[in-house]
Amino acid sequence: MVEGELPELDPVIHAQARLRVVVALSQLGPGDRIAFPRLQEILRMTPGNLSVHLRKLEDAGYVEVAKTHRGRTPATLTHLTAKGRLAFEEYVSTLKTMIEPGGGES
Amino acid sequence: MASTEHESTFDDPVQALRLIEDERTNTRRQVTPDPRLMYWPWGLTWLISFGLSFLRYGPDGRILVSMPEWVPLTALTVLLAAAGIFTGIVGGRSARHIEGPSSRQGMMYGISWSAGFTALAIIFSRVSDGLPDSALSLLWGGGMVALVGVLYLAGAAVWDDRDMFVLGAWISLTNIAGVICGPGWHALVVAVAGGGGLLVAGLVGWLQRR
Repeated sequence: MVEGELPELDPVIHAQARLRVVVALSQLGPGDRIAFPRLQEILRMTPGNLSVHLRKLEDAGYVEVAKTHRGRTPATLTHLTAKGRLAFEEYVSTLKTMIEPGGGES
Repeated sequence: MASTEHESTFDDPVQALRLIEDERTNTRRQVTPDPRLMYWPWGLTWLISFGLSFLRYGPDGRILVSMPEWVPLTALTVLLAAAGIFTGIVGGRSARHIEGPSSRQGMMYGISWSAGFTALAIIFSRVSDGLPDSALSLLWGGGMVALVGVLYLAGAAVWDDRDMFVLGAWISLTNIAGVICGPGWHALVVAVAGGGGLLVAGLVGWLQRR
């Protein structure tokens, strides 16, 4: 592997926990939003850990976190933004050019 | 690997791609219902209740296995209700705490099943008086199975699901063939081809998402 190319990967996504968050959110249908506890259950992360990573993704504009109410109970709904989806696609294609010889800049 | 657990990265892109694939599979498995749980209850319902119907109301009015005449229809009603409730719960569980277009699509699709079954049940029971048993079984069996075939075709259109389209087309065609063959044979065709088709659909869907 060409170690020198790794820094070109988007640092916001290129961390195990955040990558998993982004992949999970990318599997939802367009326009769908997921509640915080359900996302936590799918990813098997602690609440604290998940909120730290969601905040970083939110700061980068990759996810949107909205607080709403369902009846009397507050709910936090999350989804990947168009910017986040694009960043993820670019991240994946960068990874692919790294492993395919001649696929990217040598 | 980097220093902290929170910020751990990868040494190599292959590892990252593998993680992406694993998480995709994991998420898909959790937000979509297990195809076996969605198809097998219906497959078993058809296999058992249309099987009983064939044995009790065989071709040319023959009784292949003697049993009270209410058994096949009662089995069908009870098993259909059980399968409907079970698949409703399974489908609802995988969509819980996710809101947006896809849960609305799922709900509207579920309602179209109920609407179709309710309408046909009311229409058929209104015209059932005075019909001979053989015509009754074709009307109810053929009509309900036709509805199921069309609903799977429509579901395939909603989710762009080729396998579901094949299932809907298979059920529709075998149902027509069975109706043409006549009472008795229709029940056999639906039990074996229809019920079998649903069992295969569950198996194929499960194998594909493993």
